[in-house]
Amino acid sequence: MRKHLIFSLIGAAGILSAQDMPLAQVLIEGEQWQLLAEGYGFTDACAADTEGNFYFTDVKNGNGIFKLTPEGQVSVWRDGLPGISGLQFGPDRKLYACQGKRERLIRIVPGTGDVEELVTGVRPNDLVVTALGAVYFTETKTQQVHYVSASGEHRVVHQGDIVRPNGISLSPDQGTLIVSDHGGKHVWTFRVESDGSLAFAQPYMTVVTPYGTDESKGDGSTTDAYGRYYVTSEMGLQMFDPTGRLCGVISTPAPKAVSVEFAGPGLAWIYLAADGKIFRRKSASAGVLFQNPPVPALMFGANPR
Amino acid sequence: MKIPRMLIAWLLASGVVASASAQVQVQVQEEPYKKGPDSTRKADVPQGTVTKAKWTESKVFPGTVRDYWIYVPKQYDGSQPAALFVAQDGGGFVTEDGAFNAPAVFDNLIHEGAMPVTIGLFLNPGNIPPVEETSKPRSNRSFEYDSLGDLYAKFLIEEVLPEIGKSYKITSDPRQRVICGNSSGGICAFTVAWERPDSFGNVISHIGSFTNIRGGHVYPALIRKAEKKPIRVFLQDGSNDLDNLHGNWPLANQQMAAALKFAGYDYQFVYGEGKHSGRHGGAIFPDTMRWIFRDWKEAK
Repeated sequence: MRKHLIFSLIGAAGILSAQDMPLAQVLIEGEQWQLLAEGYGFTDACAADTEGNFYFTDVKNGNGIFKLTPEGQVSVWRDGLPGISGLQFGPDRKLYACQGKRERLIRIVPGTGDVEELVTGVRPNDLVVTALGAVYFTETKTQQVHYVSASGEHRVVHQGDIVRPNGISLSPDQGTLIVSDHGGKHVWTFRVESDGSLAFAQPYMTVVTPYGTDESKGDGSTTDAYGRYYVTSEMGLQMFDPTGRLCGVISTPAPKAVSVEFAGPGLAWIYLAADGKIFRRKSASAGVLFQNPPVPALMFGANPR
Repeated sequence: MKIPRMLIAWLLASGVVASASAQVQVQVQEEPYKKGPDSTRKADVPQGTVTKAKWTESKVFPGTVRDYWIYVPKQYDGSQPAALFVAQDGGGFVTEDGAFNAPAVFDNLIHEGAMPVTIGLFLNPGNIPPVEETSKPRSNRSFEYDSLGDLYAKFLIEEVLPEIGKSYKITSDPRQRVICGNSSGGICAFTVAWERPDSFGNVISHIGSFTNIRGGHVYPALIRKAEKKPIRVFLQDGSNDLDNLHGNWPLANQQMAAALKFAGYDYQFVYGEGKHSGRHGGAIFPDTMRWIFRDWKEAK
């Protein structure tokens, strides 16, 4: 009770006193990474649905999108779409996809499998779809972040600063957008403006890099319900609190971890694509689905929704 | 939700709100430190003014807004350049019943001649306001305060101080310019002087976060090997300060003190048994100011 009073008071005073968020709040003692799927060339494009299923692709050798049930059953969800490196369901329940190999951003209609082209002539790497149905995607080679409104208007909303923009995510309230830098040591933040543009770029988080280099290999990124950000990197899965402070590096079960997502029952499992395999690990936290309405980040101690 | 008055009083007194500490403390527990007479208003002492304002433009920290307060002593008449005192998390320092009550302390010490006529600048950290009114602002405090390098110094020295200087005559002598803070504000104060000793020659750090929030744990090592800089440093910490994922505050501050001693700095380290609050630093604040300004008349 007292805790709640203090939190409300600090909120009222307008001073954001960030809580400390050690790994112990996320990792569960005794829980390890479980290998769920293997034998692929290059697993990527992690995504979750509301029923606890997980989706991924094999960018190198695969021809489509795979679905993994909470019980560990893998099936082909949609065939004939090679080279997808980013996936997320939209509020319209369609699956949005970065198909760099075909130089386009698409969405796939569940059931029929129909493909709708949103943007062509681009090489999207990773994406996030907002509750309003807008899409932000990174284009690594051109150092650009693109925006596509729900009505289909497409424009570049950021260019430069980030050496190799790669992973992309939002805060739970969807007011802040983050982009990882594969070729640098920061994760950048932006304020999401009402017209979709991005304002106030800042190198808000600093990623641990291997000795002697500033290349973090920062890649796939996601967010949990408490507003922590997770970024795959050369040094492991790095976790940041909502004020941008590094609060832990989670060891990955294989090298070349490139994509991460909370999925499974209660969105409580961290799924990881690494080295042609899919792993998962139960956490004490829970993810956020951006196709759902924005929510304030939870305070520590509150149960995941 | 209604908040009991007692709790507010305790929060302000203990500095939990004032210092916007790295960890919210939930235990109500007495620390053996109390403010003395120098921290209280005296009827016969001329009283300065405290004016609140909002800083809304920054190229260094784009999109941020923050409150700040300017303290102007009664004795300031603009004929001579005044000394300068800058505090991070400034709101907590100007609160009348807070842990520091800096305006009252300054009134008393200036009147007594223990410190020069000093303009006080009390800056809060930046927030990026949300677009949607229903959302919360994003705190820029850790990015501004915990980062090493010259970003915050640039913001303060190139953006804020020139603007303040339009209204007040402030000395450019670093020996008469003090920068202060608690917790992350403490390491921020040290970083500003470390980067720009030509601008700030005095640092006051209470419960300073010389820990690995964003790499600040390296300062003791840097201090030992860098050519000594012309900075006077006051450090305060307590044996019950934080021990968390970022580091151990009591050990980090002892390392800082040992490094400053090794490198031959003009420093003082007050190590008590306080926690991560402004209690101890606030209680001794008048004496800290006396120590910082002990030779201000000679320096003049």
